[in-house]
Amino acid sequence: MTNLTATRFVVMTFVSWLAAVAVCFLLIRLVPGDPVDVFITQVNIQASEALIDAYRAQWGLNESLPVQFGLWLHGFVTLDWGISFATGAPVSGELLQRLGWSAAIGFGGIIFALAFGSGLGFFTAITPGGFADHLSRAMAVAGQALPAFAVGVIALWVFAAELRWMQPFAGGTLERLVLPVALVTFFSVGSVSRLVRAGFAETVQAPYLKTALAKGLPFRSAVWRHGRRRAAIGLFAGIAPDLAWVVGGTAIAEIVFGIPGLSERAIQAVAARDYPVLQAYVGLVALWIILGLQACAALRRALDPRLADAALAS
Amino acid sequence: MTSSDSVRSTAHGIRRHLRQVLLSSALVAAALFSPVAASPAIADSVTVGQTFLASGLDPAEGSTGWALVTHGIAEQLFRVSRDGEVVPNLAVSAEEQEDGSWLVELASDRFFSDGTLVTAPLVADALNRTSDANASARATAGRLTFAALDDATLRVTSEKPTPILPSILAEWAFPVYLKTNGAPLFTGPFAVETFEAGTAIEMVPNAFYEGADERPDVTIRRIADGQSLALAFASGEIDMAFNLPVETLSMFEGRDDQTVMSFPVAYQYMMWMNTRAPALSDVRVRRAIDLAINRDDLVAAARAGQPATGAFAAAYPFAADGPLPYDPTAAARLLDQAGWTMGDRGVREKDGETLELVLWAYPQRPDLVTFQPVVRAALADLGIAVTTQVTESPSEVAGSGDFDLFLWAKHTAPAGDPGFFLSLFFETDAARNYSGWSDPSYDATIAELRTAADPETRRALARRAQELIAEGAPVSFLVTPKWHVGLSERVAGYEPWGSDYYVIRPDFGTSQQP
Repeated sequence: MTNLTATRFVVMTFVSWLAAVAVCFLLIRLVPGDPVDVFITQVNIQASEALIDAYRAQWGLNESLPVQFGLWLHGFVTLDWGISFATGAPVSGELLQRLGWSAAIGFGGIIFALAFGSGLGFFTAITPGGFADHLSRAMAVAGQALPAFAVGVIALWVFAAELRWMQPFAGGTLERLVLPVALVTFFSVGSVSRLVRAGFAETVQAPYLKTALAKGLPFRSAVWRHGRRRAAIGLFAGIAPDLAWVVGGTAIAEIVFGIPGLSERAIQAVAARDYPVLQAYVGLVALWIILGLQACAALRRALDPRLADAALAS
Repeated sequence: MTSSDSVRSTAHGIRRHLRQVLLSSALVAAALFSPVAASPAIADSVTVGQTFLASGLDPAEGSTGWALVTHGIAEQLFRVSRDGEVVPNLAVSAEEQEDGSWLVELASDRFFSDGTLVTAPLVADALNRTSDANASARATAGRLTFAALDDATLRVTSEKPTPILPSILAEWAFPVYLKTNGAPLFTGPFAVETFEAGTAIEMVPNAFYEGADERPDVTIRRIADGQSLALAFASGEIDMAFNLPVETLSMFEGRDDQTVMSFPVAYQYMMWMNTRAPALSDVRVRRAIDLAINRDDLVAAARAGQPATGAFAAAYPFAADGPLPYDPTAAARLLDQAGWTMGDRGVREKDGETLELVLWAYPQRPDLVTFQPVVRAALADLGIAVTTQVTESPSEVAGSGDFDLFLWAKHTAPAGDPGFFLSLFFETDAARNYSGWSDPSYDATIAELRTAADPETRRALARRAQELIAEGAPVSFLVTPKWHVGLSERVAGYEPWGSDYYVIRPDFGTSQQP
């Protein structure tokens, strides 16, 4: 990567992130509900106008929106993410404590989904109409059609309340992660398998596979050897938009299984109109998605030199 | 007798002797252990599931003070008793002085969890710090200043004069703590062993709190979703599930090892009536609306609770007596007297205007949204057309005065005193007089209440104020809700009270549970 390309990458990334957080900053403040009002209602205190004014001043809500945004932006890049309206604690500490749980669920779920989904997709491609194909379709439809919250509650009821195989709330860290990771995996494995299947299916139809078979390669090996790159390119293109799942999509798993993750905190913050927490969360998620998309694009370029050439030409 | 008979007889004798010995031993053992068996077993450790958890351990931050008190970790100088009265806790007395300040005498036998005696200088340090840092501590009487006169006496001065300092000191913003280099230390029956933000607090009995040997270790685990809380209780992972959703209660019917207790809380559901709205400016219309609502229907809609009798839950000594009347016939008569006659469409009319009202609610209290169709149906029967609206910003809408009827939830006596609610929401110039109601005799009653110090006088004035509210009908008090607590056998004797202000108490998990 040349210096010019690197600079362009950094500038583009920052501009994209800035646009995303600025729009979200505005949207968060357009949501009806005054944070001071919500807080006072929640904690049941006698609120005179003076007290309300004191909270507004303490929380920086008296400043104009551009000033508020500027202060937040400066704080975010200097890792001072402000004080939570609801808890009075520093936001950076609260979110960083929770980051590990969300990352474990998100990355765990995606990794298992990639592993199972890729295997399922491959077998679906080489045995169209077979059991794997039916399973893959069923998983893809289930992933789109079933409500994640209900599936999570049912899993809790079956495995914890009825079978008592695990303690998802009081168990150790790994025990607590099993069901949330399984939930994320369940909802991702179908779409991954269909993406992988599409890549390998093209290879199955390709003329060069006949050449490979004529050389004496077994069918399964030939499809794997000649189709995996194509399948990977399709997979990275397909799952890139789903990267938000790794952070944001774990919310349901975190709430149902009582995991103190980032998204669970963000949902509390929405209810409390806790702007500092919401804004920091948005900043983190936007950064993750932008970097993730860039990483996926880089992987695709690495796997397909034609894409790299096209990128250089542009 | 043959030798074999002899052997059989001997063996039979030995067996009989053995049986006698075993029976005697069993009887002795039963006699020895029966007193223990008869008293409730004390668990070594208890796990409590709640939808909320302290976000930190510093009472000066946000609403942490409330969470620490409700968890049984922190205490205030005064507290609200089971009977709704303000009683001494770390203090033994408080006396108002001629200059308006108060002298608070501390108990001589109370300790922080490291064994440090609770003294006036330590209390003053902590509460002055909280008063500076936390705006909520300045809510009722402005900034309080604490000065230690000696080890056992505090002088408390308030920015605004107050006759109810003990009640203010029972507010959640005033837990007593000892600042250390690490986390603060507290005086409650349980001490923090480990704290995992957002997840769990592990607590051990505070060794310096009376009866520590009787208490189990307690873990409070946060499970934010009500359905998950119920399933965690059903799976046996937690011994107590605080505030189960009503729709999950059937899951525990018929279980021998788990019970659910429902208890009325101190929150009240009510409906503001905007006296500035043209139709509602007539007291007869407001009273008609109040009479037309069947509170039992609302209880049935919420599937828990009891009809309200006034501004306060029935447990408070200043609560109004008796049920509020439900009389649709009298309600219709009042509307007729007010000139609102039934029109052709089943909606009342007066001077060419139809009687149409907008009923607001907010989703943060889902029961209120559930009440909307019930109220609308009751008023439709009376000939009042009601449309419903929901807002996420209840105080904004109510404060703007741009509403007719507004369903509301409020803990009306959080610190055990009636003055706060009756003053803030009903006095003519009060900051939250949403209904715009004004009654000089009511204002005079509240002025008297503001200066009255004698508890009995305060109760009488509070009841009188509620009578005046009932006459003027700026609000309709509807339902005292009930919450539900799941209990395993290990905490079977636990009786919830005090809403969510005192969940873990000194008797929690002990044989002294009521």
